[in-house]
Amino acid sequence: MKRMQTEILVIGGGATGTGVAWDAALRGFRTLLVEKRDLTHGTTGRYHGLLHSGARYVLKDAASAAQCISENRILRRTHTHCIEDTSGFFVVTPEDEDDYPDRFAAACRRLDVPCTEIPASSALRREPLLNPRISRVFELPDAAADSFLATHATAQAARQAGATLLPYHELTRLHLSGGDGNRTISGATVLDTVSGEELHIDADLVINAAGAWSGQVAALAGVEVKMILGKGVMLATNARLTNTVINRCKMPGDGDILVPIHTVSVIGTTDEKVAGPEDLPIEQWEIDLMLTEGDELVPGLSRSRILRAWAGVRPLYQETQPPAESNQSKEGSHSNDQPVQEMPQDSRDATRALALLNHRQRDGVRGFITITGGKWTTFRLMAESAVDAACEQLGVSRPCRTAATAVPGVDQGHYWLGHRLSEVEDEQLQSELVCECELVTRSMLESAAQRNPTVTLDDLRRDVRLGMGPCQGGFCTYRAVGILHQLRTAKTSPVVGEWNVAHMQSPAHHHRDSSTAEASDSASNSASAYDSLQRSAAVDPQAAVSQPNLLLRDFLQERWKGVAPILWGQQLRQERLDELIYLSILNADHLPVDDKESPLSSFYRSDFSPSGSNQ
Amino acid sequence: MLDLLVIGAGLTGLFAAYTAARAGLRVRVIAHGAGATHWHAGTIDLLGNLPDGEKTVTNWTQAVPELPPAHPYRLLGIDAIAKAMDEFQSLTAVAGLPYVRAGAATDLTASSPQDERTSQRSDSDEQVSDPNLGRNLQLISPVGAPRPVYLAPAAQQAASLEDDRPLVIVGLQGMPDFYPELIAENLQKLGHRARSASLPLSRLTKRLDRSPLHLARLLDQPAEQALLAQMIVDVTAAGERVGLPAVLGLNAHTALVTQLHEATTARSRPSPQSSHSQQAGTSIFEIPTLPPSVPGLRLDAALRTQLTGLGVRVEIGMKACGFHATGRRIQWLETETGSRPLRHTARNFLLATGGILGGGIYADRCGRVRETVFDLPLTAPQSRTQWLRPLFLDRRGHPIFQAGVSVDQRFRPLDQAGAPVYDNLWAAGSTLAHTDPIRERSREGIAIATGYAVAKGVVTSQ
Amino acid sequence: MQNATVNSVGLSLNACIKCNICTSYCPVSAVTDSFPGPKYAAPQSERFRDFGHPYYADAAGPISRPLAGGQMPDASVDYCSGCRVCNEVCPTGVRIAEINARARARIVAARGLSLRNRLLGRNELLGRIGSIAPGLANFVLHNPIGRRLAAALFGVAEKAPLPRWHHETLNRWLARTRAQRLRSDRKVVYFHGCATQYYEPYVGMAAILVLEHLGYEAIVPPQNCCGLPMLSNGEFTAAESHHRRNVARLAQYVDAGHPIIGTSTSCTLTLKEEAPELLDLESDPGTHALKLATWDIFEWLRERLDQDQLPSDLRPLDQSGQPFILPYHAPCQLRAHRIGKPALDLLAQIPGLDLRESHARCCGIAGTYGYKTEKYQIAMDVGAELFDYVASQTSKSEPDSEGSVSFTACDSETCRWQLEHGTGLPSRHPIELLAAAYGLYDLQARRPADGS
Repeated sequence: MKRMQTEILVIGGGATGTGVAWDAALRGFRTLLVEKRDLTHGTTGRYHGLLHSGARYVLKDAASAAQCISENRILRRTHTHCIEDTSGFFVVTPEDEDDYPDRFAAACRRLDVPCTEIPASSALRREPLLNPRISRVFELPDAAADSFLATHATAQAARQAGATLLPYHELTRLHLSGGDGNRTISGATVLDTVSGEELHIDADLVINAAGAWSGQVAALAGVEVKMILGKGVMLATNARLTNTVINRCKMPGDGDILVPIHTVSVIGTTDEKVAGPEDLPIEQWEIDLMLTEGDELVPGLSRSRILRAWAGVRPLYQETQPPAESNQSKEGSHSNDQPVQEMPQDSRDATRALALLNHRQRDGVRGFITITGGKWTTFRLMAESAVDAACEQLGVSRPCRTAATAVPGVDQGHYWLGHRLSEVEDEQLQSELVCECELVTRSMLESAAQRNPTVTLDDLRRDVRLGMGPCQGGFCTYRAVGILHQLRTAKTSPVVGEWNVAHMQSPAHHHRDSSTAEASDSASNSASAYDSLQRSAAVDPQAAVSQPNLLLRDFLQERWKGVAPILWGQQLRQERLDELIYLSILNADHLPVDDKESPLSSFYRSDFSPSGSNQ
Repeated sequence: MLDLLVIGAGLTGLFAAYTAARAGLRVRVIAHGAGATHWHAGTIDLLGNLPDGEKTVTNWTQAVPELPPAHPYRLLGIDAIAKAMDEFQSLTAVAGLPYVRAGAATDLTASSPQDERTSQRSDSDEQVSDPNLGRNLQLISPVGAPRPVYLAPAAQQAASLEDDRPLVIVGLQGMPDFYPELIAENLQKLGHRARSASLPLSRLTKRLDRSPLHLARLLDQPAEQALLAQMIVDVTAAGERVGLPAVLGLNAHTALVTQLHEATTARSRPSPQSSHSQQAGTSIFEIPTLPPSVPGLRLDAALRTQLTGLGVRVEIGMKACGFHATGRRIQWLETETGSRPLRHTARNFLLATGGILGGGIYADRCGRVRETVFDLPLTAPQSRTQWLRPLFLDRRGHPIFQAGVSVDQRFRPLDQAGAPVYDNLWAAGSTLAHTDPIRERSREGIAIATGYAVAKGVVTSQ
Repeated sequence: MQNATVNSVGLSLNACIKCNICTSYCPVSAVTDSFPGPKYAAPQSERFRDFGHPYYADAAGPISRPLAGGQMPDASVDYCSGCRVCNEVCPTGVRIAEINARARARIVAARGLSLRNRLLGRNELLGRIGSIAPGLANFVLHNPIGRRLAAALFGVAEKAPLPRWHHETLNRWLARTRAQRLRSDRKVVYFHGCATQYYEPYVGMAAILVLEHLGYEAIVPPQNCCGLPMLSNGEFTAAESHHRRNVARLAQYVDAGHPIIGTSTSCTLTLKEEAPELLDLESDPGTHALKLATWDIFEWLRERLDQDQLPSDLRPLDQSGQPFILPYHAPCQLRAHRIGKPALDLLAQIPGLDLRESHARCCGIAGTYGYKTEKYQIAMDVGAELFDYVASQTSKSEPDSEGSVSFTACDSETCRWQLEHGTGLPSRHPIELLAAAYGLYDLQARRPADGS
């Protein structure tokens, strides 16, 4: 069994875990992160992409609101290029209660959330598809965030600071010693899901940042962390309906947020309490509810073309242990107007504030910290709290630096919707397009595939938006499989040097990747022995890339999972064209497929329960 | 007045129009957009899978009786299907784009279109004893899987997987829709001798456009044809069959294939005759690509040229928006224009608008499934929860894609009571119920056979 | 949808299934990389054009919103010729050409309009100025020095087929022949368009003679440019004021139930559809009434034919008894009407006429597109398909001397000029052929047979 040694081991490769790795590495800790699938595979990759101003929670969850606005300001500096500065409207529709808007505006002032009331007519001029019957509009600094890019940028910053990140390494065991009340965690055993090899990790401290999976990780330490898992269903429209984030100005409810994220608008969300973080069915009523509520914001939204539906799980947490034993973070516990005794019945009512569980105090387990709750917007703050607690346990004092450190790529400024088209036009890359809908070029794909431990096409989708447009992989799945297969058969040596994620989403990245980026890479002390491990999968003969037929089948199934609940009208017609391509022309249902499943095959199969199942 | 107005310009509509016009009827074709022939591989897939999804069909004459009784093929019977196929083959021979069956030897260089036609005719006369009747070819898909095909354009025939000559799949570097290594690897997995090679596309064109269609147009030019021939000779060996993406010319297609065949065979004085030399045929073949399909465009163009010769106009851009019927007769159909609706009066109407993909059928969010021109009664799953199966590639297919028009033996749409809705309305092709043509690999077979049957039916009824 | 700003053009974006049929038919992307094709330019790129998103329009017109940072992400859409072949072949009904026209308008709003494009959009003004002294104007614009100057100063292609001002405008001819004009209870309105008024008044004469031959009085009220040249060059505000003026001027005739008949397929299409859709005037009652009253002349004549109201005194065009071979090209703008090819139905009535229908997609000129220096060669390359077709008819007919090709026919004026430029053969509007077959018109000299 391979062995590794580190000071801090982070479990979970979502926004929070990656943030923790970044923070810890910046404070000089030897840091290792393990993630059972690809980075952002969990909730981070399945949320609507809203950078909260906090306004949504000013009346319901002041703690969360305060965290959001403060982090909103920070992330605009540290992750500038991962954010589109859309601004946000809170609109009052005829169905919304009368006194909420005034209470809302007052609460915004109280919590220092910048809020300006603007005439409804000028809001309608800016967003002509908005419900013309809206009576009042407040503008706030909401924005759209690319959580895939942001996490990759954070990950690169972490690597540059010396951290090692191991995707496709699944936690199987936490090393626990000592007796009741005085137990210590000294490391973990993880499984490389691609090679099937086990890895023994010795660590001074383990930080559980597994989000919705935190309860499962804690259970491996014999500790009970009862998560409140709130499933949220979201739908993406074929094209943007608005260019501004739109919120209903009312108590947060279902289907009252519309976020313009890249080429689509996302309407969200439901909030259904679920038992586990995986296997999330999307029910017909949830789709209908989103569309009906969406019509209140943009009349006719329900008749617009819907590309896809998906569900994410909010990892909500509310401490239910006797307060004496709890040690929620300072930020988390100053919600003094909200007594923390009872588990909320409805996940909508659970706090969105972050929760830090220091298991030494809480459960008598040393070397183990859980950071959970929170919002994507507050991931950096969550990381800061967790590493603060880690410093305390490890008996060192090192200040947090993330709030003042920009991740690579911020010099590009905020992204804007047209950036890909603009680059494709400037560099005449039209014939290089692999995914025509989302303007993904061949070199973007190759770059992502060669420098990221790609195991499935779905990982590439998250990296570069492959297959996320109207045809949902109809044309690009085949092309991507062919290109990955060529990369392998060409037996090219893996590209040396760090994957410059700053331009990960840039069609013209090879014209823009400056040599300075490479230089700063080499200047960093990332000569970690495990760097090769991080890059090996792309050329590893065991990797799924070596099985193009599985890549093809699994990505088709992954896309199907998200379209099946919304197949009607034009998207059904689109799907029939995709069938024509993969059945009639490619005969992909008669491909020789080896019996082996790719690491994600079983996942795709089990995670699927379409509304339209007639099984 | 028109004898027949065909609605839809896919293979169904065009072949029905051709058949009816050849019988002397006055025919016109109108369609909302260019037909679906552009999307398909240009092959005539007659029946590749049975609806249970498990069995692969090797000979459709044996498989047709296993289809459900309401399936269009069961309404037609084997002889009618075979007759329609013969007629289609004759048409393609006349049009200079010959289609061939399994076991048929083609020599592109030998016969003029007229000769082809007579030879095909004699073929069909002897069909009773023809051992190849109904036998599917197994051709090569662009991912290297076998494609069950009944009639192949001559340029795809040499892809037959029954042929045991070694294969070399030749790609064009930088062409986004063709991956020779992947095809060769999957062919190897299936037990075939196959390898791949690549040609630098940059030597053929300076254009950025690398779509199959652009390359096909480029390869209509003599200079590029000669260059390609030389490049192919350089990377292939004697005795190999050469598979290329389907870009071998649009207008000069047959000449180019002939030229490439000669170039690759001329360099090798064949060693002692091998056992399969009889069926060897050409040494060059095309592998279809993603839409738009160049072989599909060739077929479409060939059909349209024949129709023009018969005085049949094909008018595209006509979207149906209403119709008028008195009793059980449709009097006219209306289509949208920039202003007032345009009226199309005819004695008979053929609905050949396709299924969900073609736009002949629309399924909405509430689970309603509608026929889009005459709002005919449909056979379709009751509610949206019954439309789909959990796995995309489920070989039984998704029930919604069997939604369609139920017809009588003469292909007239039926109402709920089982009586024809109109006396002068007919339906053919993918708009028909009780079949999922894409899943069955029966799209072109159904298009040709039912289109032919309707045309004959209209002629008889005149 | 209650929201008036959501219109059919924007919503049609949702219909695209990426099937590539538009790209496979696009005559422009077939010959140049400058235009990457209709699928790329319309349904794909539109999803990335934030500022003026798919459905964007506001009270002041569809383009008035300032682009954020002045950024319009793409420029290649400017190379779309607007021929609308994509719309014709699209099986799902995406209004590709209109989406592109709107995108060009947004580019103009963001980056301004060149003097050349402003000039090309002012067909009517040019016509009027030139007609003051047609001889001088023709001399200035039809000598090599003038052309080189126009190319250098304005970017108007040196070789492009500019029309010649006629010595007499249609209005002056009408005034001069007032006494001969038919008065009747059956009235139609003739919409001549700028080209007929200033450059080709004989097309108008042929139309009026045929209408009168059928027993209809042709009213020719004051009218102005339909606005299409401005629409295709992205000048939407100017186009709208032109259109509204026409609506007002024609309202009394529309209200009286008179059909508005035109010989210029692009002008009639603009009245029917382009202006209402692109300018978001679909709900304007006057615009809508005019839309429903407008006819292409052959669309209207086909109705007469169907109702047996067409005089049968059609004579062969060639008195020598030779078959008269006529290659006919249905222009893109006519096909965009979606009325079929009515000229074919009418010309088929002329005895001895051997009609040969071209299936070429486009002649290339596409209104003002082929006049632009940077697009001239593209237009000629696009037109090659048509020119080759005409040439093949000519050569086929010569050896067996069964007839000769002395003319081509096409319904649209700029297409005729391009056809003449590309083939060297004179081109006629089908109405001129019909008028000649009725003995009303001299096809060679292009003037009424009675010499008026």
